[in-house]
Amino acid sequence: MKTLFRTVFSAFAVAILLSPAVLRAQATQDNDPSLRALRDEMARSKERLELTIDKSGKPVRPYYIEYRLLDLEVREIVAQFGALVTSTKTRNRFMNVEARVGSYKQDSSNFISDEGFRGFIGSTGSVGIDHDYDSLRQDLWIATDQAFKEAIDGYSRKQAYLNSLARQTDIDDFSKAQTVQLIEPLATPDWSGRTWEQEARDSSATLRAFSLLQESRVTYYLVYATQYLLTSEGTEIRTNRSFAAVEGGLNTLAADGVQLNHYYSAYAPRPADLPNVETVRKGLNVAATELMALRSSQPAQDYTGPVLFEARAAAPLLAEVLAPNLNGARPPIAFRPVMEQFLSNIGGKSDWVGRLGARVLPATVTVMDDPYAKDYKGTPLLGGYSVDEEGVRAEKVTVAENGVLKQLLMSRRPGPDSNQSNGHGRAAFLSDAKPSMSNVIFSSTETVSAADLKKKFLDACKAEKLPYCLVVREMDNPAVSLLHQDDFSELLASFGGGAGNGDRLVSVVYKVYTDGRPDEIVRGARIIGLNARSLRNLSGIGSDDFVYNYMQNQTAGFANTALGAFGSAQNGLPSSIVVPSLLFEELEVRGARGEPKRLPLLPAPPMTAGK
Amino acid sequence: MKKSLAVRLLSVFPALGSGLFLIAMCTMPALAGPPDSPAAKPSPLIGAMQTELDRSFRTLNTQDIPAYFIGYTLTDTQRAEVSGSNGALLSSSEVRNRWLQVAVRTGTYDMDDTHKVGDRQLPTGGPGTVAPVDDDPEVLRRAIWLETDDQYRAAAEALIKIRTSREVKVDTAEGRAPDFSKEQAHKWYGPQVSFLLDRKPWEERVRAYTKGFRESSSILNSIVTFSALAQNTYQVNTEGTQLQFGQIRYRLELFIQGKAADGMDIERYYNFDWVDPKDAPDDKAVATASATLRMEMEGLVKAPINEPTVGPAMLTGRAAAVFFHEVFGHRAEGHRQKDITEGQTFAKKVGEQILPDFLSIVDDTTRKKLGGEDLLGYYQFDDEGVPAQNVTLVDRGVLKNFEMSRSPLVGFPHSNGHGRRQLGATPVSRQGNLIVESNKMVTNVQLRAKLIELIKQQGKSYGLLIDDIAGGFTFTGRGQPQAFQVQPLVVYKVFADGKPDELVRGVDIVGTPLAALTKIVATGDTPEVFNGYCGAESGSVPVSAASPAILTSELEVQKKETSTDRPPILPPPAHDKRSASAPSAAPAVAGGQQ
Repeated sequence: MKTLFRTVFSAFAVAILLSPAVLRAQATQDNDPSLRALRDEMARSKERLELTIDKSGKPVRPYYIEYRLLDLEVREIVAQFGALVTSTKTRNRFMNVEARVGSYKQDSSNFISDEGFRGFIGSTGSVGIDHDYDSLRQDLWIATDQAFKEAIDGYSRKQAYLNSLARQTDIDDFSKAQTVQLIEPLATPDWSGRTWEQEARDSSATLRAFSLLQESRVTYYLVYATQYLLTSEGTEIRTNRSFAAVEGGLNTLAADGVQLNHYYSAYAPRPADLPNVETVRKGLNVAATELMALRSSQPAQDYTGPVLFEARAAAPLLAEVLAPNLNGARPPIAFRPVMEQFLSNIGGKSDWVGRLGARVLPATVTVMDDPYAKDYKGTPLLGGYSVDEEGVRAEKVTVAENGVLKQLLMSRRPGPDSNQSNGHGRAAFLSDAKPSMSNVIFSSTETVSAADLKKKFLDACKAEKLPYCLVVREMDNPAVSLLHQDDFSELLASFGGGAGNGDRLVSVVYKVYTDGRPDEIVRGARIIGLNARSLRNLSGIGSDDFVYNYMQNQTAGFANTALGAFGSAQNGLPSSIVVPSLLFEELEVRGARGEPKRLPLLPAPPMTAGK
Repeated sequence: MKKSLAVRLLSVFPALGSGLFLIAMCTMPALAGPPDSPAAKPSPLIGAMQTELDRSFRTLNTQDIPAYFIGYTLTDTQRAEVSGSNGALLSSSEVRNRWLQVAVRTGTYDMDDTHKVGDRQLPTGGPGTVAPVDDDPEVLRRAIWLETDDQYRAAAEALIKIRTSREVKVDTAEGRAPDFSKEQAHKWYGPQVSFLLDRKPWEERVRAYTKGFRESSSILNSIVTFSALAQNTYQVNTEGTQLQFGQIRYRLELFIQGKAADGMDIERYYNFDWVDPKDAPDDKAVATASATLRMEMEGLVKAPINEPTVGPAMLTGRAAAVFFHEVFGHRAEGHRQKDITEGQTFAKKVGEQILPDFLSIVDDTTRKKLGGEDLLGYYQFDDEGVPAQNVTLVDRGVLKNFEMSRSPLVGFPHSNGHGRRQLGATPVSRQGNLIVESNKMVTNVQLRAKLIELIKQQGKSYGLLIDDIAGGFTFTGRGQPQAFQVQPLVVYKVFADGKPDELVRGVDIVGTPLAALTKIVATGDTPEVFNGYCGAESGSVPVSAASPAILTSELEVQKKETSTDRPPILPPPAHDKRSASAPSAAPAVAGGQQ
């Protein structure tokens, strides 16, 4: 039934939580029936849920029970070329019940088995949207029962498997954490003030002027959520969050039939904070203009040499490179090693685990992850929260200081370097919490201005006696730029395997000539072998910090991998990363490959630029 | 736990393997019938579609591999759904969207890109794309342009492959029929339909209905869903057809789940379908249906498991209707006679006696109602633009015809308006309103007396009375045994000695189709209607099946697979006498959406 749950989520294209709403003093007892139902069923389960398994004669009881309830209100408005495609407003509530048997040392979790107990109704699913006490208790009752049985079944499978292994890990399954009681006042969604359908029409209409675009789509995605978390340890949390997104994807075919994509995105903590129509139109125009330039550009050639990432590209680059490496939790034990291989292929393994105290970055660089940061020098940050998905208070974490690795991000799943959560167990859609970045700030004690960095780059290029060198102005985010699931699947098939080795998708790349010729845009370039190790030898860092707000992909398997940065509002975990321009002394760039498609037999039908 | 029933039930289907599943209990909307409407004006959408069609055909018809047919279908869907569970509202929403589907055929009517060579399967996944709901002809034409190019490319590639492989494969006799039938063009512009619905009263009703189910400690979960669906179809093709028509349908579904002590899952389901808002079931009708479901659930969780037996059985009308849909209807779908991977049970039996001579079967999609009940399989035009027809499939026991799409058979060169599909799939021949007629009718009381007679004749102690069938699935593929399996939900043992009937559970009907059909000995006198959604290779389509009760001299039943998941450890919260925290005094916040 878990699969069903996922289906349901994707069907509703439900996204998740964001920026923490204002934290006030704990709300007074507002007699919230949902909270009461959660408390009462938790109390009953804690006290009386037990099952005697025939062989032993001793009753088994859950040592840990967790209730999560997510109340979501989502507006999604899609338009293309000025015409409305869909507009939906949905409210749903989802629950997720987890029970663990065993002990903190070794329990029923962290085990991926190929089969197992699936209850007839399931431990997850949608529940009534009324604040109705009785129906919620009924739902929790069944879900708790199913979760408990799943845990018993999983635990026995896990023990059988572990017994067959020569060596077992001595890392615990679950860490203890301080309980938290935090009941925020119930917030009411504010949809007032703007007519989103008209904004979607008006902003998308600007793309009518680009007659060579094939397809485009502009999506407004607005979310309000209230989330409850109760644990049998005594944690009780009710928090409110919201976020909003405008995402635009566009594509065209170059004259040789190669498909080219580009995107625009803007994220905000609340719907009211989204950019206005004029700003979105400008952003879409920039993206479309760049795409048109790419369309008439030459395919990139293979290249080895200095590469300058302008800040706008350096930030998403580090979002990709750092995501898997900051994860300090041990991976789950998989019944089939195939799972582990898959994870490692798509870049899901941390190079930094086990290296605390080692230098992993240039000696001038410090990396912080700060869930409490609301903005960076006035620009709002999206990744903040006060309590994580496992009910642990957020902590500001110094990941690296002066280039030396200090701490990894931790959830309540212990790892080789730590057995304590530092409040980074994050998840969207009630999925499993994993150590994930919130607001990451990459800074250096030695920086140079953008102009000086460019000069340094050109000097390096001349020293290498290269006719030109490459500047990356923007990275691709195929989760937004590709308009069809087929295209995304195709991309994963061709690119996914390289992600683990550091393949990076760049979209706007310029050749900068040493002889003063004007810069020239090229298409189809792909950087290879750019991983965490490459960061140790940065040859220059700019002072032009760029705030990149984005969605970490929460699709199962993608979270905390190199693909995790390819997220969209529908599947993402709001996050921010602040990075200046970065100069790499030597990178390898592969030129354009890939199969061109046949151009359409007919020219496009007319489209008037008006609107 | 509970998502809309749709997701629940539909998600079950892929697990059933290839083949066909009738599912009498799918979900979604209900029946319709646009008024036999006076002609209305064509929408500007038709104009935009025709313009792009003409432009595309001029070019694609003159390629090296020419397109000989192009068809565009734009479907505008307005759907409201209100769902409740265990006493609370689960969701309430209304959505509107448009789906564009493009058909491009290359080659000729006799041999085109859809030609089956050997056991090559048609590519799965249908042609189509979303289109804007705003009437913007320019944006619509752009979507049509790209989709047409994609479909032409796929059709051209397919034809090349077929031409290559034809040289090495021997054609079967069935394969000699043309690939696409020539049909008359139709022009029809009906009025566009939509509904204006206040969901609030339905929100209250689904809360109340599901709250009622909570009173029974045997009911672990309940879902009640109301839905309204308005669909407008716009269709043009290069043969000159231009159609515009709409349908509105309403549906209310009741669904409850429970568990027997040995872990067997028990589900009970009932649906109401109507077209005219004033035919909506009132609270009393729903209460009656709910009470029956509840009573059956409470009986079934305690009922004994039935042992495998062979013997006489009576099926009530609704159960018999599903039985015919499964056992006969799917095998009378024309394209199955053509495909060599299919069992082709009836392919060579036209003109032969396949049923007792007192039975006739029609598939009449022109029919809106039967005995006052709306029929879900009614429509004006099928999904290939062919008008609905009344087709006699079996006349006094003799097989006469098949349900035909535009994929002809030798001897059956034309469609009879049964080319159907769910949005996004390619049409194939499907059932519509399958109606069983009998001229050997007795009253249901007499039929029961005959059942007891048969039990005695066969020297058995009991026979079976099957009162409800949830739908099953039929393997029609050649790789599987030609058996069918339908899942009776409510079955009684009827004793020869006059003991009261005994409810049993865990019964599955098994057997081979042809044998089962010939064992029918008599029927009741009142046709009953079963409305449902039937899933097969062209997706889920609304269908009706109608039949009087039937008596069969021999029916084989086996034990149904059971779940190992035992009943919940703790009692339901509302029925927990030990619970310190009794349901709180504060009233539930009805309608209290935050």
